[in-house]
Amino acid sequence: MVNYLVRRLFIMVPTLLAISLIVFLIIELPPGDYLESYISELQAQGETVDQKHIEFLREQYGFDKPVMTRYWEWITGMMVGDFGFSFEYRLPVSDVVGDRLLLTILVSMVTIIFTWIIAFPIGLYSATHQYSWGDYGLTFIGLLGLATPNFLLALIMLYFANVVFGTSIGGLMDPDYIDQPWSWGKVMSVLEHLWIPVVVIGTAGTAGMIRRLRANMLDELQKQYVTTARAKGLPPLRLLLKYPLRNAINFFIADIGSLLPSVISGAELVAVVLSLPTTGPVLIAALQSQDMYLAGSFLMFLASLTVVGVLISDILLAWIDPRIRLAGGAAK
Amino acid sequence: MRLVGALLIGLTVLPGYLAASSLVEVPYLSNDVQAGKLPAIADRVPAQVDVVNLKATGKVPGQYGGKLHLLMGKQKDTKMMMVYGYARLIVYNHDLDFVPDLLESFDVKEEREFTLRLRKGHKWSDGHPFTAEDFRYYWEDMANDKSVSKKGLPSALLVEGEGPTFEVLDETTVRYTWNKPNPNFVTWVARPRPLLLYRPAHYLKQFHAKYSDEAKLNAMAAKENKQNWGQLHGDRDRWYRMDNPDRPTLQPWYNSVKPPSERFVFKRNPYYHRVDKNGLQLPYVDEVIINLGATNMVPARTGSGEADLQARYLRFDHFTFLKESEARYDFSVRLWKKARGSQIALFPNLNAKEEIWRDLFRDIRFRRALSVAINRAEINQVIYYGLAKESQDTVLQKSPLYKDEYRTAWAEFDLKKANALLDEMGLTARDDDDIRLLPNGQPIVITVETAGESTEQTDVLELVRDGWRAVGIKLLSKPSQREVFRQRIYSGDTIMSVWSGVSNGIPTALMSPDEFTPSSKLQFQWPRWGHHVQSSGKYGEVPQLEAARHLIELNKAWDAETDRAAKARIWHRILKLHADNVFVIGLVNEAMQPIVISNELRNIPAEGVYNWHPGAYFGIYRPATFWFAGKGEKKQ
Repeated sequence: MVNYLVRRLFIMVPTLLAISLIVFLIIELPPGDYLESYISELQAQGETVDQKHIEFLREQYGFDKPVMTRYWEWITGMMVGDFGFSFEYRLPVSDVVGDRLLLTILVSMVTIIFTWIIAFPIGLYSATHQYSWGDYGLTFIGLLGLATPNFLLALIMLYFANVVFGTSIGGLMDPDYIDQPWSWGKVMSVLEHLWIPVVVIGTAGTAGMIRRLRANMLDELQKQYVTTARAKGLPPLRLLLKYPLRNAINFFIADIGSLLPSVISGAELVAVVLSLPTTGPVLIAALQSQDMYLAGSFLMFLASLTVVGVLISDILLAWIDPRIRLAGGAAK
Repeated sequence: MRLVGALLIGLTVLPGYLAASSLVEVPYLSNDVQAGKLPAIADRVPAQVDVVNLKATGKVPGQYGGKLHLLMGKQKDTKMMMVYGYARLIVYNHDLDFVPDLLESFDVKEEREFTLRLRKGHKWSDGHPFTAEDFRYYWEDMANDKSVSKKGLPSALLVEGEGPTFEVLDETTVRYTWNKPNPNFVTWVARPRPLLLYRPAHYLKQFHAKYSDEAKLNAMAAKENKQNWGQLHGDRDRWYRMDNPDRPTLQPWYNSVKPPSERFVFKRNPYYHRVDKNGLQLPYVDEVIINLGATNMVPARTGSGEADLQARYLRFDHFTFLKESEARYDFSVRLWKKARGSQIALFPNLNAKEEIWRDLFRDIRFRRALSVAINRAEINQVIYYGLAKESQDTVLQKSPLYKDEYRTAWAEFDLKKANALLDEMGLTARDDDDIRLLPNGQPIVITVETAGESTEQTDVLELVRDGWRAVGIKLLSKPSQREVFRQRIYSGDTIMSVWSGVSNGIPTALMSPDEFTPSSKLQFQWPRWGHHVQSSGKYGEVPQLEAARHLIELNKAWDAETDRAAKARIWHRILKLHADNVFVIGLVNEAMQPIVISNELRNIPAEGVYNWHPGAYFGIYRPATFWFAGKGEKKQ
């Protein structure tokens, strides 16, 4: 096990290096740079563009250096926790992202818990009552959630929340509470706004989870050990939770790998539509304006989380399910 | 006459004295005053109190209080407070004449020598005196310090590469003198993004190596990811974004929130230099609150009553939606006019790479034929509900330089004339699709590139296509990315592009005509010629068209001329030449900009011009004089 861990950790280094190179090159790939989009913005407004100022910025931001030099500076900076500088915000990247992390994690966690609370009972029910009206009905609703585009659902819910409940449009709290210390009113305001993104982002995930849980459970329920346990008189619920569910849950642990990054990135598109103060809109805006260090560091961060997440889920799988072998050699 | 006009109309200051006793303390600040944290109002305003003449602009004196909510998109939109605030040394009044604002007065001699006199007792928003030292600091320790301004003086301070001499005459008087006339100096000072000649020296000195320990500053800079103290200094200054809460300002409101944030609160500047006739210090409104969010949600949020004054990120096609919400949330939607020379204009690239296209576009008959083959009335009706005005890319009716002939030159829809012009050029051969052929046998298919951001442009192009098709010219539109867009035009790969016309459609004779003459790399009809002039012959190409060269000469003549009437004459020659040559094919102008205004907000005109320069959007209407008739609190 220790051997395995060390090897996995060791492999992570070249993986991340390769990712960083690809991320950087892809961001570099489109013609132009941040200053080009900055000029267009000025021009669209009718502002005069002082070429001297642009040259000054070009030098200050290091655009005059060759690509590889910039890559090297960025990657070595990251090693010591310096993620570079955001041109758009004119702040260090860590300041820009750090501020939004807390709310992003909040939204994502609540969404994940919401998904689990809905998906688990429904998945179990559907599997145990296969082809019943309940199964069809719940599956139908789940698939409806999966099929409806998230952003559309978000817009519709925004509209109704505003017209019916008078909730302010977008954001995670009433504008008056932004930057205020936490208070009861602020918590209530957050709760009032939180349910929309949670339901919107949750619906899609719920349907997927229901289907997979149902399928895995159906596989397990057919197996002989279930019949044996039932014949021995184990109470149905206890049987269900103790044996087939544990076996059916592997996919769920494997999901942790992708769960970690999604907690941080927080469903970008929906966040843009709902103008949530999460990290998603920042990433998209950074990519659009070619604010490259912000975008690059962010993507690197997500990539690292994915790599770590996959590692954690692999370890957890091996630990929870003894049937899984660490390497081919052990089977001999 | 001009002087009388300037005094009567426009937000002009009558040099009236107001007894200190008649000043009314601001309730918002009274706690601080009582606690001794802030001096009383009489000690905050300049010694000789200037009374704003509200009546002259049809405004009424108001009351203190209220919070003005604005919606913005990005973090850097805090700069709009610098624009809306519009406290400048010299400003435009409603008639677009220059009047002193922060300055008490100014003198211009031969457009070479500019003497600026400050108000005695004028203070920064932190209470420190605003004096000639602040000008000296900018000039000596910033503009001429290589560590702060690597590239030297800003272009606006240079006349043919030469800077001015700067003198401090006394504590409140400074003078800039050039060897040659610098006619754009005052314009630069009054711009929405001005040439800022002064800085809060008392605040910035702590970040300047001349006044503080360089090693310590560099260590501080390194800690914040900056290369040297020069960058640190620039970061703390950031006067345009106004996002450093510690940096004092002279604007009516100062920022109180440290970025990054989703919400910025701008509080009233307790030392703002103006009062009304009842002794109330401006601004009337206590706080301006900026809520950020996705720009495409701004119309929806405005429609749900989240803004008291909103125009940014609202487009004409949002008008009906906003109008519908008027009744629910106590606001009104007004339509102001935009002041671009043309809302949408086509730019034949006279620097196109392929010779055949270049020669075609340089033929005046071809440009004219393209222009008269466009049905502008139809575009106006279909896209702008007939509210805009069919026009070439030229000055608007509001400008004193306007003449009907500039607007209508080659702008009438006349297929016969277009066909005649094209036939005269010898482009008579046609292919099976009835498209005219070039001399080399290639059909005339013009690909118009767009920046790919607005459906308005592509909709308009659809209508242009019909007219051109009727005279045997095919139009294709091609969206591109904005970064590539400009580069392709400059390199000549793009033969025609679509963008908006001149940004200042309401110039006076005293504003530079350079938008109508080759002067910048960013002019899409002649990028290389413009670059040539801009870089004093270093880059680009020598203009090869007689008319373009003539325009450049006229621009130079305007620069050298100091008499207003003579300047106006030169302007007219430029406009005539520009209109006659159809260098840019303008379509419609005076398009509408919806403005949402809370029904409680006073002193904001129902009809106005929404423009960057001159105008500073709301700035020219002086938001410091806006006030809330109710309490100005959102009823949510």
